[in-house]
Amino acid sequence: MIRRRHLLAAPALATLPRPSLAQADQRPSITIAVQKVSNSNTLEVLREQSNVGERVFYSSLWEGLIGRNWLGALESVPGLATEWRRIDDRTVELKLREGVRFHNGDEMTAEDVVFSFGRERMFGSGDAAPGAGTLFARIPGQGPQGKELPPEVVAVARRIWPALERVEPVDRHTVRFVNRTPDVTMEGRLARYGSDICSRRGFADAASWLDWARKPVTTGPYMVAEFRPDVSLTLVAHDQYWGGRPPLRQIRFVEVPEVASRINGLLSGEYQFACDIPPDQIAGIERNRAFEVQGGTILNHRLTVFDKNHPQLRDARVRRAMTHSIDRQAIVDSLWAGRTVIPKGLQWDYYGEMFHADWSVPRFDLAEARRLLREANYRGEPIPYCLLNNYYTNQTGTAQILVEMWRAAGINVQIQMVENWAQVFARETPRAVRDWSNSAPFNDPVSSIVNQHGPNGQQQQVGEWTNDEFNRLSGELETSTDRARRRIAFRRMLEIAEREDPAFTVLHQNATFTAKRRDVAWKASPAFAMDFRPGNFGS
Amino acid sequence: MLRFVASRIARAALTISMVVTFAFIVLRMSGDPAQIIMGADAPPEAVDAFRTAWGLDEPIWVQYLSYFWAILQGDLGRSMRDGRDAIVLVTERIPATLALTLPALAIKIGLGIPAGIYAALHRNSLADRIVMVVAVAGFTVPSFVLGLLLVLLFAVQLGWLPSGGQESWRHAILPVVTLGLGGAAVLARFTRSAMLEVLGQPFIRTASAKGVPWRAVVVGHALPNAAIPTVTIIGFMVGSLIAGAVVVESVFSWPGVGRLLVVAVGNRDLAVVQCVLLLVAVTMVCSNLIVDLLYGLLDPRLRGAARKAA
Repeated sequence: MIRRRHLLAAPALATLPRPSLAQADQRPSITIAVQKVSNSNTLEVLREQSNVGERVFYSSLWEGLIGRNWLGALESVPGLATEWRRIDDRTVELKLREGVRFHNGDEMTAEDVVFSFGRERMFGSGDAAPGAGTLFARIPGQGPQGKELPPEVVAVARRIWPALERVEPVDRHTVRFVNRTPDVTMEGRLARYGSDICSRRGFADAASWLDWARKPVTTGPYMVAEFRPDVSLTLVAHDQYWGGRPPLRQIRFVEVPEVASRINGLLSGEYQFACDIPPDQIAGIERNRAFEVQGGTILNHRLTVFDKNHPQLRDARVRRAMTHSIDRQAIVDSLWAGRTVIPKGLQWDYYGEMFHADWSVPRFDLAEARRLLREANYRGEPIPYCLLNNYYTNQTGTAQILVEMWRAAGINVQIQMVENWAQVFARETPRAVRDWSNSAPFNDPVSSIVNQHGPNGQQQQVGEWTNDEFNRLSGELETSTDRARRRIAFRRMLEIAEREDPAFTVLHQNATFTAKRRDVAWKASPAFAMDFRPGNFGS
Repeated sequence: MLRFVASRIARAALTISMVVTFAFIVLRMSGDPAQIIMGADAPPEAVDAFRTAWGLDEPIWVQYLSYFWAILQGDLGRSMRDGRDAIVLVTERIPATLALTLPALAIKIGLGIPAGIYAALHRNSLADRIVMVVAVAGFTVPSFVLGLLLVLLFAVQLGWLPSGGQESWRHAILPVVTLGLGGAAVLARFTRSAMLEVLGQPFIRTASAKGVPWRAVVVGHALPNAAIPTVTIIGFMVGSLIAGAVVVESVFSWPGVGRLLVVAVGNRDLAVVQCVLLLVAVTMVCSNLIVDLLYGLLDPRLRGAARKAA
């Protein structure tokens, strides 16, 4: 049946680059200009934990047992497992999809799943490998056996699965995940970035961990043909893909660091997609009717973070005044062209029953801010704001607006430009205010408010903030299986961290924008991920 | 001559060790590579594990001494992002950079020197004014602006050339032209100034008064004497062949040493940064050495001075 979408896509497909031996494979190839392919120069999900990694990994390369609806609301959907059920509070059993082929042609079985979550690939030997005392003595990933895991991989794996006891095969296509402690988030953890499945034989065949990490053998619709670190990544169709024949013959991600160069390449026809488009460039691109900018909010919120050890911020009323001084809508309208939203605090719709729809960020109320400052006896003493130059989209502009908004309330915040995160976290210089963004890797508040602001989260680990009641509730949220109590605990944590004793304040939801030719039939997902599976590219 | 070369080599070694030390201190004092490479959202335990694995938890002087000792043994270290030998990472990028900078150097010399000579020989003429206006424009317009203008014209509007990347020789045209035009403008201005100064000297008038044909005066007397400042500038240009295209490589997404340096500095990937700096320092020192030797060839007075000093 010919659908309207097919007709729309036809002229676009006709003009896309074609192989010289097109008789063999008529599918188009595309080139996507991105700012960065991979920060770590690897394609291993446990090493490259970043937004840019998400873009090239999902849903082209890596797949998990429980997938996500990338073109919907990112809710959990069957992935490499077709169904799953709870055996008890500590155990989840999953039925594997049959007939799934890895890029090397092997069929995926329970053994591959067990291997993917095993010591050899994920958790290491159990001992953090010490350095040899010199800066240049070790080559992580190229140890004596050639497959020694870099320590940061092990650390990330333990963060993702802090209490995983074992993964056991039940039969060729059934596995059980057993946790040491009761955990209602196991299904969420299975769906998250990092819990993806790889080929046991593919790992064994690689000469070293680094070789593996640059050409992982997975189940996705595209497989790695060539990876040139800092330059490009070329994926080619995996025609044995369980979800049908991929619509593209080849996808090539090229690193184009300058935004002007990405846009120029798109306009000149060299790239079919240009990613990481700043909001202020959208109108300029769309003035040309042949192009459009897609995208929007992603599972990531921009925050202003407080260090309550700073003398001026010890009094929670000053921090509360700062949260009330921010006209968030003005930031969204002026810097984001209205193309993002102000979320309901540090939570996301896809939390499902844990989502508090009646919660909101502190309202913009200058009178309340001034009242709190009077009560706190704040007299305009300077408050330092460590600022990176546009690490986040619109970061510097947002900071300048924030400083003026705080000034309007009578708060004297002074920007101190720094160059990197190490300088932001340095204890030698006064710390008070900084920027951050938080994601929710799976559909439960444990993935964000606990992991990022709880006792083991970054904010407390770097010594910016702590709160006894909040920490007790973090533990409850992680271990309780009483869903009603967990919901109440989460609500209370929001009250503490966003209102009573602010650890942070949410500014807006982050967004990402991708420019493309208007006549290319493709839909962006509400995430960094770019979906080129069958059904989402003109076929 | 041997003593001359030996003293230059000793000075070069001192320069290089100072570059290495300075780069180490600046890079290590301005940020923790573990935090930078692992990113803002990395779990603290992952950052700590990375730090321990690479010895970044050692006192800075221990790290420095280890590094310096390794260099003396010929080990330039490994990339913390990559795990590969820094020298391998850098050397595999050098051909790409030279593919831009060598043709650009040819443009600079082939365009800049004749333009400067022509302008000097036709001083205050319309041609001189035009050459100098173009040279000043080429000299003052930043390379990223010129690059983007060329892309807008030749890639976006006309569609004749690709806007970036490294797939074919056509991809090199715009970055080479961008690099070449700016350098040619510099050379044109220096050559013109040098020529004008020499043309005003008494020996030029004497040669002309003796009836030597003007072409012979220019080729035999003016050009060799005007060559010294020009050769100095060319020496600097040769010295920057390795890392002289940082901005242009970024604008044109050209995977050369310049882009590697930008990424490595951003990540505080010490071994890679220092490997690039070492190469740049060595190239610069070598080109200066060659320039010094050329001075002697170009100007007999300098040869005599060197002999007297010896």
